[in-house]
Amino acid sequence: MIMKSSSSPLASLLPALAVLVVLALVPALGPSNRILSLAISAGINIVALYGLAVLFGQTGILSMGHAALVGVGAYTAAILARDLGIGFWVALPLGSLLAAAVAAIVGVPSLRVSGHHFVIMTFAFGQLLSIVLTNGGAFTGAATGLDLQLPVTWFGRPAGDLVPYYFIVIAFVAISAVASWLIINSSYGRTLRAIRENEKLAASLGINVGRHKIGAFVVSGLFAGVSGVLLAYFFRHISPNQFSAFPSIYLALMVMIGGARLLLGPIAGGILVSFLPEMLNLDPVESRILYGICLIAVILLLPNGLIAGLFDGLRALGRRLFGSAPRTTVPADSTSETA
Amino acid sequence: MMSAILQIEGLRKQFGGVTALAGVDLAIQEGEILGVVGPNGSGKTTLFNVVTGVHKPSGGRVLWHGRDITGLAAHQISGVGIGHTFQQAMAFPGLPVLENVRIACEHARRSSRAYPWTTPEALLRFVGLSDLAGERAGVLPFGNLRLLGIALALATRPSLILLDEPAAGLNDKETLALVGLVKQLPEHGISVCVIDHDMKLMQMLCRRLVVLDFGSKIADGPIRDVLNDPKVLEVYLGGVL
Repeated sequence: MIMKSSSSPLASLLPALAVLVVLALVPALGPSNRILSLAISAGINIVALYGLAVLFGQTGILSMGHAALVGVGAYTAAILARDLGIGFWVALPLGSLLAAAVAAIVGVPSLRVSGHHFVIMTFAFGQLLSIVLTNGGAFTGAATGLDLQLPVTWFGRPAGDLVPYYFIVIAFVAISAVASWLIINSSYGRTLRAIRENEKLAASLGINVGRHKIGAFVVSGLFAGVSGVLLAYFFRHISPNQFSAFPSIYLALMVMIGGARLLLGPIAGGILVSFLPEMLNLDPVESRILYGICLIAVILLLPNGLIAGLFDGLRALGRRLFGSAPRTTVPADSTSETA
Repeated sequence: MMSAILQIEGLRKQFGGVTALAGVDLAIQEGEILGVVGPNGSGKTTLFNVVTGVHKPSGGRVLWHGRDITGLAAHQISGVGIGHTFQQAMAFPGLPVLENVRIACEHARRSSRAYPWTTPEALLRFVGLSDLAGERAGVLPFGNLRLLGIALALATRPSLILLDEPAAGLNDKETLALVGLVKQLPEHGISVCVIDHDMKLMQMLCRRLVVLDFGSKIADGPIRDVLNDPKVLEVYLGGVL
């Protein structure tokens, strides 16, 4: 009987890090400001996507209001800067913690019920937050939103321009990927997967299913908060509609298209959904139609996302070319997240 | 004299207007393998589900070593030392077999008792699935899934294990292997309660048999006596044979 290669978990981290190293070289190619801006906003989304991947990919529950948690981070950054003069690097942990706290408040009542109710509750929470922000008066800047004036500095040097900010975002994408990899390969990650696979059995083995589901949502909130602070300091102006229903749906879309269970999934999903309309020169209505078609195609044809589909395709090709190649030579198995 | 580790008193469960358990009294003794039989709908699985926290009882008490554990949540029941296998959905289908067992081991309760299996690998060896450690559980044939389910329940370090139709869907050879395995459990300090339809299985496994019908206990005693009880022959075996 052939045993699958027990390749070290490190093997799953390396492709993602290799891709990030390549992406870090992009500014050397002298891209246009437009491309660099798109890349930065893709990177900001990818940070949130890594959190969403812990929730959806590992635990099997979907949030349809995740942009609202990103919004908590963004508004935290803007309000801290305006009222207290607190800057980027302090806002990052504070925005992250506040988004996690909000996730806990939303999660406690909604995760006691089944997965479908949770999807609806998160959607309602997203709508609620944008109504609150719109009616928040001067504190939240109402419908026009807030401006953010404080500069981003890195050891006393300005880092708010496109190229330095690109590197900051890439660094946070790398941190998110490593954090996500640590979670996936820990006992905690295995517990979350057990809940995804069979809640009843998980409970019978002593796993407190409800508490861990809330925990996963809180963890995803940590990522969303960081993404929000990065976003606020990039756009310099935030308003409620950036965190309403459509951005939430886009986040869910990106994680599904890229694939939520593999480390490369969020990177692929974030880049594709950000750049595809630009490359195909689509207006917003056309791009929404395209996203819809992509989502349906991915769900029907590649239920584990593009990256997993790609690996499966390569493996099938390898089998055709080399006959029945032994399992041990297969580079990555889309079905086992830790291989 | 053996002592009861699990004592069920007047346990009732109602689903709307349907009475699934109509006041069942049952004691499981330390070190025994107890069989519970009954026709479909007699309340066997409900009995397990109420004891293990899947459902809340409508009335009655469950005592574990004299301590009231009625209505504890499923994950707490595992923590007191009661393991449990399911009729369906016995494993985490998308995960490798070894990871299935590792998860169960990582959530094992703290116990001062010595168990012969302390690692996932040792558990897989005990149930004979070592060769399949790297396979996804979802692709295992039914017989192996049942064994994996037992390995998962054992990993929680129980002192009582409840088996829900462990031989359903197994062929004769697999059933014999299962019997051999279950019969070893009392030697390791694990008492067993089995529910099943299969009388041949019960005769191989148990000395004591309990018969349920319409949510009530109609017989409880040494298996030979119970099988000759005219009441049992009429309501249960009479319907089958």
